[in-house]
Amino acid sequence: MMSVLWRRGVVYLLAALAIVYVGYRLPGLLPGDYVTTVYGGAEVVLTADQEQLLRARYAAADNFFSYLQNLLLLDWGESWAHKTPVFTLIMAALPWTLLLMGGAHLLATALGMIAGVEAAWRRGGRLEKAGVGSMTLLQGVPELALGVVLLLVFSYQLGWLPAGGGLSAYAEAGTGGLLLDLLRHLLLPLATLVLAWFPGNFLLARASMVLVLRQPFLVTARAKGLPPWRVRYRHAARNVLLPLVTRFGLRLAFMVTGALVVETLFAYPGLGTLLYQAISLRDLPLVQGIVLAAILALLAVNLGLELLYGRLDPRTW
Amino acid sequence: MNSGASSNRCLWPAILLAAICLTLLPLLGPARAGEPTVRIADGRGDWGLPNPFHHYPRGPGYIHMSWVFDTLVWKDHRGELVPALANSWAYEPQRQAFTFQMNPQAQWHDGTPVTAADVAFTIDLFQRHPTPWVNLKEISHAEVTGSRQVTIFLRHPYAPFLADIGGTMPIMPAHIWREVEEPTSFTEPGAFIGSGPFRFIDFNKVQGTYLYEAFADYYQGRPKAARLIYLRSSQPLVALSRGEVDLAAIQPEMADALKKQNFTVLCDERGWNRKLMINHRRPPFSDRRFRQALAHAIDREALIAQAQRGHARPASYGLLSKDHSLYNPDLPDYAPDPAKARALLEEMGYTADAEGFYQLEGRPLIVELLVSNITAGGQSVPNRDGEKIRRQLARAGIRVELVNMEQAVTDQRIRDWQFDLALSGHGGVAGDARILNEMISPNYSGGSVNSARFDANPELEELLATQLRAMEPDERRRLVHRIQELHALELPAMPLYYPDACVAYNPRLGIDWFYTPGGVGKGIPIPQNKLSVIGE
Repeated sequence: MMSVLWRRGVVYLLAALAIVYVGYRLPGLLPGDYVTTVYGGAEVVLTADQEQLLRARYAAADNFFSYLQNLLLLDWGESWAHKTPVFTLIMAALPWTLLLMGGAHLLATALGMIAGVEAAWRRGGRLEKAGVGSMTLLQGVPELALGVVLLLVFSYQLGWLPAGGGLSAYAEAGTGGLLLDLLRHLLLPLATLVLAWFPGNFLLARASMVLVLRQPFLVTARAKGLPPWRVRYRHAARNVLLPLVTRFGLRLAFMVTGALVVETLFAYPGLGTLLYQAISLRDLPLVQGIVLAAILALLAVNLGLELLYGRLDPRTW
Repeated sequence: MNSGASSNRCLWPAILLAAICLTLLPLLGPARAGEPTVRIADGRGDWGLPNPFHHYPRGPGYIHMSWVFDTLVWKDHRGELVPALANSWAYEPQRQAFTFQMNPQAQWHDGTPVTAADVAFTIDLFQRHPTPWVNLKEISHAEVTGSRQVTIFLRHPYAPFLADIGGTMPIMPAHIWREVEEPTSFTEPGAFIGSGPFRFIDFNKVQGTYLYEAFADYYQGRPKAARLIYLRSSQPLVALSRGEVDLAAIQPEMADALKKQNFTVLCDERGWNRKLMINHRRPPFSDRRFRQALAHAIDREALIAQAQRGHARPASYGLLSKDHSLYNPDLPDYAPDPAKARALLEEMGYTADAEGFYQLEGRPLIVELLVSNITAGGQSVPNRDGEKIRRQLARAGIRVELVNMEQAVTDQRIRDWQFDLALSGHGGVAGDARILNEMISPNYSGGSVNSARFDANPELEELLATQLRAMEPDERRRLVHRIQELHALELPAMPLYYPDACVAYNPRLGIDWFYTPGGVGKGIPIPQNKLSVIGE
């Protein structure tokens, strides 16, 4: 067991090094540069001397080894646009992305699994057919369209929920009020993501469950006189977990880029908004930092999934 | 064991929520019952910290800084310069110097009086630590010449001085900045002590929110709003309708819906110029006749009606806004006329093929047009012009390959002269006529992607240099008129139209926002002039 872990650890370390290198190089290949982007449409016009000075100040450093060395010391560089350490910016935005994306993933996966299991159990019935039809349709609707519809209905027409932001700015409220405000702002972007991801989870869980329901061990379970819910969840649904966990992990790994559209639409704070602004401005240290964070998340999720597979299905080790 | 594991599972989300709440608790300000708070929506949210060394070099960044720091003079709702920190001023041609009498009531946010020495120190500070907003190349030095009097000496006569420096350069407190060695690293609370109508209280980078509180002892009267809050919002229509914000930039199409909800809608029709960049260093664009043919081929009224849905006005070929006091109405005109465009091309030797498209010595005439979303007044504006221009030029026998790119990529290609035609734009056309120098000549524009960087006409170059030195208004008017005439003749870049830039605001707060003719400071077309919020 330890030797397996050791081997995998080495493989992950090498993969991390390779991907970190790519993550370091790629943003620098983006056409455009910080000075042109920031001053291009500005009301001020730079003189040739001023431009030369700025270009020298914002020239990208080109030494991967010192970059790597600094990373290990948690020095991820300083954002050119924000004039703030990249690590600080990422850590400030990360909780918001985790709250939104993590919450949406958990809800979409849990609800999708329960609905998928129940639909498969009622296979051939009207409810199952309607569920499969509507979910297939819903799966084709982009997150952006869902978000706009929710915004128009619940914010513009009904006026129940705020139009954007993570919370009311500088509101006078106690901790309870702050929590409520946080949840009210979270609801629309969260609902958008849950609605966007739920159909995929539902269809996957239903399809996997349909295959499982044909297995002989379920006949045994029924013959033992176990209650139906126990047969469904303790015996059958457990086998549906593996593909759902895989999907969960893959989706979670794309947390940063996945958040971009919804965070932008709802002006929700987080890594997606930060990345969007960093790319627009060609703020290379920040782009590199966020790409690095995404890479590390991807590797961590992959490693976590491998360990989880071992718990869910010991044959995979 | 199970229950312990279960409570651990519940614990993590709770810890996450609690951590976020603790981070945000400091944002809860004290309640200030009875005093109005003004909430302003911003599409981007982050414009840097509001001091001259930290705000981003775009109009919204300067506006943030202008709440905190005052200048010597300022523009009012007619665009005229009015007293700010200086009560009065005068120019002495013999000494090439401006003398300012300071307002004795003015004080810094920490209670220290603003003095003439602060002005002299500010000149010295920005000479040692230049920022793109304050270019003091034309200034020699400043001297305190009386208890409340300061004289600023110029190296040469400099006509844009009052608008470009007097009305743009923030005055800095000497007692704070004297000890600061590196201003770009100075972010202590003292870095935000100004003499403006609002104190800077907080900026939350992640949320994209700013908080300013009124400076009760402001020398021009107590501000009408107790607090200004900026917040990031990508849905201005919804945010305004729900009362989440009191002022927001809107698309012109939203105006009617918001007027019905009793919002006041303001539109600035001539402060920002959409233009066609032309690579005049490359044939056939280097031939003036070709550029004039383009002007005849492009029907700007049709462009406005179809691509802008009528929400724009044709621009002056002379570049300065038609609202500008130095605007020249007698300029060469280019009525839309594909036949005239064809005649000019044929004069250059082009011949039409069977389909009516031109070629020269067997090589078909194909030009590339770069288009991208552009940022106007801090807001990203979608581009619908490219396709329309492509069709219009096709009618004049010019084949166009449309290339849609991200703005940063387009900007870089323009900067490096790797383009034929490109759609671009800039503000400042209603501001000081120095904009002509910056948008025409490479000698004043560095590598600006909005500047035509055209120096092929020696008379134009000479006039541009002379108009900056013309301190007599009539003399400057004559020079600027001729510059516009030559620009319209040469067309180093083609002004297309002034798009309507609109905002909606809640009038019930008692604040009448306005677009400043000529723009705030160096020509920022954003209706957040601090005079809107000051006094009765």
